[in-house]
Amino acid sequence: MGLKPATNPDVEAATIELSIDGKSVTAKSGVSLYDVISSTGKIIPAMCYHYTFDPFGSCGMCLVMQEGKKAPVRSCTAKAAAGMIIKTDGDDLFQARKKAVEKHLSVHPLDCPVCDADGHCELQDMAFQHGVTNLANAKQKLIPEDTRSPVLDFNMNRCIACAECINVCKDVLMIDALQFMKKGGFNQVVPKGDLALSCEFCGDCLAVCPVGAITNKFSKYLYKPWQMKKTTTTCNYCGDGCQMYLETKDAEVVRVTSPLSWKNKWGDRAETAKGHGGLCVRGRFGFEYIDSDARLKQPLLRQGNQLVETPWLETMHQVVDRFSEIRRKHGPDAIAGLITARCTNEELYLFQKLMRTGFRTNQFDSSARYGHLNFVHASRHALGIGRSLNDWEDLTKAKAIILIGSNITETNPLTAVRIKEAIRVYSAQVVVIDSAVTNMAKLASHPFLIAAGTEGLVIDGLVKATLELDLIDEKSVMKHPQAFEALKAGVAHVSLEQVATQTGMSVESLKDTARIFAESPRSIILCAEGIVRRPDGYRNVLKLIDLAWITGKLGQPGCGVSTVTEEPNEQGAVDMGAAPEFLPGQALFSDQTARDRFAKAWDVTLPAANSGADLVEILKRCRSGQIRALYVVGENPLATLPASMEVRAALDRLELLVVQDPFMTETALMAHAVLPACTSAEKDGTFTNLEGRVLRVREAIDPIGESLPDWHIMTALANGLDCQWGYESSNDIQSEIMKLLPGYYNLGQPRKVAPAIDHYLSNGYTRDVVERYRATAPSDFRNERPFALLMGQVLYHSGKMSTKASGLITIAPNTGRLRMNPQDMEQLALKEGTTVRLTSDRGSMQLAVQPDQSIAPQTCFFPEHFNEPPVKDLMSVQVDPTTGVPTFKQTRVTIEKA
Amino acid sequence: MRVAGLTKQILQAALFYEIWDAMKVTFKHMFHKPMTFQYPREQRTLPDTHRGALALLRYDDHQERCVGCDLCEAACPSRCIKVISSEDPERPLQRFASEFYIDITKCVFCGYCVEACPVNALAMTKVYEFSTHDKRTLLFDKKRLYDIGERHLDDAKKYLYAHNQEKNVEESREYRYYFPQSVLKPTQPPPKHLG
Repeated sequence: MGLKPATNPDVEAATIELSIDGKSVTAKSGVSLYDVISSTGKIIPAMCYHYTFDPFGSCGMCLVMQEGKKAPVRSCTAKAAAGMIIKTDGDDLFQARKKAVEKHLSVHPLDCPVCDADGHCELQDMAFQHGVTNLANAKQKLIPEDTRSPVLDFNMNRCIACAECINVCKDVLMIDALQFMKKGGFNQVVPKGDLALSCEFCGDCLAVCPVGAITNKFSKYLYKPWQMKKTTTTCNYCGDGCQMYLETKDAEVVRVTSPLSWKNKWGDRAETAKGHGGLCVRGRFGFEYIDSDARLKQPLLRQGNQLVETPWLETMHQVVDRFSEIRRKHGPDAIAGLITARCTNEELYLFQKLMRTGFRTNQFDSSARYGHLNFVHASRHALGIGRSLNDWEDLTKAKAIILIGSNITETNPLTAVRIKEAIRVYSAQVVVIDSAVTNMAKLASHPFLIAAGTEGLVIDGLVKATLELDLIDEKSVMKHPQAFEALKAGVAHVSLEQVATQTGMSVESLKDTARIFAESPRSIILCAEGIVRRPDGYRNVLKLIDLAWITGKLGQPGCGVSTVTEEPNEQGAVDMGAAPEFLPGQALFSDQTARDRFAKAWDVTLPAANSGADLVEILKRCRSGQIRALYVVGENPLATLPASMEVRAALDRLELLVVQDPFMTETALMAHAVLPACTSAEKDGTFTNLEGRVLRVREAIDPIGESLPDWHIMTALANGLDCQWGYESSNDIQSEIMKLLPGYYNLGQPRKVAPAIDHYLSNGYTRDVVERYRATAPSDFRNERPFALLMGQVLYHSGKMSTKASGLITIAPNTGRLRMNPQDMEQLALKEGTTVRLTSDRGSMQLAVQPDQSIAPQTCFFPEHFNEPPVKDLMSVQVDPTTGVPTFKQTRVTIEKA
Repeated sequence: MRVAGLTKQILQAALFYEIWDAMKVTFKHMFHKPMTFQYPREQRTLPDTHRGALALLRYDDHQERCVGCDLCEAACPSRCIKVISSEDPERPLQRFASEFYIDITKCVFCGYCVEACPVNALAMTKVYEFSTHDKRTLLFDKKRLYDIGERHLDDAKKYLYAHNQEKNVEESREYRYYFPQSVLKPTQPPPKHLG
């Protein structure tokens, strides 16, 4: 069978005609006969088939009669050919299929009552369907159960050797963690090398297992599938916005299942371009935070040194009274707010409305400020669109993808699966430029390791190489000759050799990359935390847009510059105007027409256009005493920002700190009032994912304890401040947003956006470009501090929230150790667990080290999710002058044996 | 005709015939054995198939039979059974019911749960006296159900035999589910019945 879908953007498959059950059917040449039959609506049983990977042909169920052949043929592995005459029904076929079921059942234990798959088992269904009652020569396998992995149990007695798990792992996810091994006379699925399973733990093998051979350790033996309530909702961990089924029993979250399952195996291979329906480890096994014991169940009010549980009514009265008092005494600009992008669109909208119309202040910010706004501002400035240009389908079908500064398999695992499919199915060339040996680099055609913090230089080099090799697109450049001259002049001082020595990427590879990008018909640049969360993020995104412009990629279908987001609704936070510079719909807050429109819709006078303050400014004003009250929704600045930001001092000076959070955070411990909020599993709403797709979040369980959805608390707060809001559900808020932003709720596919760079190129581009490519003195302080300390995300965690999910903590606990390249450790004569002294400009601390192959030489890494030990405090903060984004994920350090 | 009828009437009236006629049944019963039971002093002998209070059973080696498969819960038409199953903390990989409730006030004594049970852990006994001062005591929990099973083991077994659920002690072993062992202890021998 061919690996590729019959029709892809490059090849249109020929049409053939064949006869199925007497009806003439047209199909694409080169597809499996099984696909052709299932596309007519006729379902033939098959246990080893799944549309996301190649037919394997081990179960012997998909038998059909082909005219001219004596015996039935397996339709999955047979290619459809013109003129075939196929019969799919008949007693002979039924008997043949029944034989196949009997064969499987004779070596399958009849332990359905204790099997977790009972009721959700294809073998069981088939046995019923074919009326299998008598099993002669049944044998027991007596294989012990493999329980070594922290998340999955392998009971190979139940395995029917369909290889779906192996195929999905190898073909779709390209992890290849499972294999067949002949042991004890039976072919068994074992983790590679028959060791304990050690992989990305995405659990897709569990999802496709048609029997109970692979079972979920977290829900082992708890409930049968029919006992649980299944709610379709959106994952709350990253910007991918994966759909998942939250399975609950009363107030308990039992497990998470994915749309990818053996149950929905019939599809067109080309459909996987929009996502294969799987989940990652966080989505599938990180659900335990929802009903964890650490959840706040009662409002808390500070009395002296303690936070005391207080009824809602009293707490809200206190909070409202103190907010109004501060506003009366010191004016509305004594109040500020912070919100997390893990809230729904409706709540983010309500938050900014509360700040602007309730408190009458424009001092608030969301966690999109930690990086995503760099991209939004750059993209909006140059192209007029404040979001990623490409969706998943574009990524899958791209011919060239440049991944710069993005450890995408860790941060956004399902977007990474799209790129893997681009590599495997559509044979894309992938260039990975990163300062770590990422998992994607291991699969990419052109992996390049660069020195930490030199991403900007690499982009300079790429622009220069494109110009030098004359890879420019005449048509797009000639429209704006002035701008092009300015760009040429801007990069005139860049020399490829110098870039090569500074970044560690050779001149040849710079040229190769430029060539790959320019010459492919569909090429995409994907930049993430290594660009937008580092100094000069805004400038670097603009440079990437320059690169796409001169190669003529802007406006081409399937091309563009995109980013990925860390939190589920960062894009939504920007779209809903939860940033001081934006009104909903990304209208500028200083834009008079938009101001008039929203002022009229909300029936208020908006705060002055220049009175806004973003995260860094809010903290500064808190420290200076200008801001006296802070309303924090789900944010935890104390645990996120390094000590040099003096967050504690800022919060200490506040007269009123109100924290609204599902958990007792470090910030909440300092608060005067703590309001228990719901997690996304307990409320309705929508998230906007990184493609710009609006996805529904649904209520799966009742709020835990006395916690309430954020929109509910905000409405109560606003009504206490005389706003008279009548929202009774998140639907009411939605209909208001629908009126203000028509077309935003594009449920389903994201709108394709067309970038318009012309306006920018003819206005202000020449001025910008000089500043953008200004030569910076080569900051070579490597001799002084030889190592780069990076902080970032690991696959098993997301922000601080995942640390509350006990399952994820079992898989990836906080080791409290600095991760280093084994070579560096050898040079410094360090062993695993040796304590070192880590010194940066901001201070020093002692911690143990551990080797990690994925860390590049001359760098070291500590996951940002853990503050034990507080490595983040070694970071110094740089604030982007244009976007106000604080960057604090990278610094230079010395490491010495303590 | 008229005279004869009148004479008969007079005669009957004189001899109190109607009273004697009415008392005939009463007098006849004086010489019969009584039909009623003097409940609760006397107890009726119940047939083995009688569907009384449900009980949970153990094997001869005192292991719980129930594997917590929730099938009784699924079969119950009045939804009076609730099973909460989990992995036995003392015996890894063994599924068992950590909690088991039968709301006997809702039970319609249909016996479907017994039929559904794959390991014959449930059986019905001849207990039918449920009167109580506190209705809450009629929510039978796991301990109570095992107590009933222990006290009325013979009846429970007779019920299973009578309903062709299980024939004798030897055969009851066939229903026993032997869990696979964990790979963590490869030295453990396979279960005896399959060796």
